[in-house]
Amino acid sequence: MIMSERLVNILITSFMKILIPCIQVTIPLTIIVFAISLVLAFFLALVQVMNVRWLKNAARIYIWIFRGTPLLVQLFIIFYGLASLGISIPAFPSAVIAFSLNLAAYNSETIRSAILSVPKGQTEAGYMVGMNYRQIMIRIILPQAMRMAFPNLFNSLIGLTKDTSLASSITVIELFKSAQQIAGRYFEPFALYCEAAVIYLLLCSLLTLLQSCLEKKLIWKQPDRKGDNRIEKGGQI
Amino acid sequence: MLEIKNLHKSFQDTEVLKGIDFRVNKGEVIALLGSSGSGKTTLLRCISFLESADKGELIFDDFRKDITHIRKKEIRSLRMKMGFVFQGYHLFHNKTALQNVMEGLVTARKIPVSEAKKTAELMLDKVGMSDRSDYYPDQLSGGQQQRVAIARAIALSPEVILFDEPTSALDPELTNEVLQVMKMLANEGTTMIVVTHEMNFAREVADRIVFMENGVIVEEGGAKEFFTFPKIESTKRFLRRTLCDYEYSI
Repeated sequence: MIMSERLVNILITSFMKILIPCIQVTIPLTIIVFAISLVLAFFLALVQVMNVRWLKNAARIYIWIFRGTPLLVQLFIIFYGLASLGISIPAFPSAVIAFSLNLAAYNSETIRSAILSVPKGQTEAGYMVGMNYRQIMIRIILPQAMRMAFPNLFNSLIGLTKDTSLASSITVIELFKSAQQIAGRYFEPFALYCEAAVIYLLLCSLLTLLQSCLEKKLIWKQPDRKGDNRIEKGGQI
Repeated sequence: MLEIKNLHKSFQDTEVLKGIDFRVNKGEVIALLGSSGSGKTTLLRCISFLESADKGELIFDDFRKDITHIRKKEIRSLRMKMGFVFQGYHLFHNKTALQNVMEGLVTARKIPVSEAKKTAELMLDKVGMSDRSDYYPDQLSGGQQQRVAIARAIALSPEVILFDEPTSALDPELTNEVLQVMKMLANEGTTMIVVTHEMNFAREVADRIVFMENGVIVEEGGAKEFFTFPKIESTKRFLRRTLCDYEYSI
């Protein structure tokens, strides 16, 4: 009984101690990394779709390397490896760089496949109303592609939220690292790691909620059909 | 107005167009007939540069050039004079009916939005779709989508409209509503090239019939003459097959 009271106290006092690095480090790290990776991913996807000669090959090699090596190894190379060569980057920026570069490789493939899945007829119709390639891309193809890429991109955002715990291995004091420190201090690894898990779960639940809200908004608004049920799918022939 | 000379096009080893000479005059409605695989659609797509031809010459009003040497800019300005109605409609899925019609006006022709909107509303009204202007393509029937696509084409006031089997994806009931709109355009003096399998439409509306077989134009002439006195055997066979289904015995 005394044990469990002590445990409850530890859990309550440690909750804030874990939540603060979550708000100060884990969440900003996630947001910054995701934003950078999206920009980079867009660029990587576009140079491939638009067949820019040299950049296309460079993009393929980039994706090959960053998808083919473990994230943890990439983190270590950037933080410890570069430091040994005299290029020392502080822990947090190192994490930002490694996560962004890694995630961009995955997100670019999501975006590329979404762009390619927009039917060719959309481009042809754009040409025939007199638009040029850039206009078609921006006004017709990308809006449709983004809607298709959205669930997968959100998937990678949720994955990233949890993967940021790897930053603890390069001395970033984020959610997991602080839980680890408290667990060590009180010799309660089970309780503390479970507490950390619950906070990750809460974060991801919030993101899942956000996803379903945004997805509803992304569906192009539906006016009342006024009893017209003659809806056929205008498929590609 | 629009003329094609000695047009050739191959896909890999198959030659689809084997030297086509083809001409449309202003205000003329031409029906392109022929069985599947005869090259009708490819001809239309070469004229609109959706396929690049291997050889040939294109004449459009004062413009005259080898079709393989036409520059991107020239292609764009030529396309501004053409409208294209696809078999699969190809309305922009992320835009409403009204926005679909406005898109070319605003983006390509830089017409102010308010003016473009007025034009678009007028065009939708013309094809009987003004009550559906806020609907997205997915919410419209095939016939309705195709009528919006026609509105999109005519809104740009092109000199010639190319129709690529505009009704082949539609059931008979919906086919009719689209053909009515096309008939109206023809009566207004719109220059049209129509690839179609609708024989009655061709007979009633077209001024001239062009019949293709295996990548060449084998017969062409006035609609009445073509349907009543076809000159060559393959035309006769084609007409027998398409016009008199009841003659088949199983």
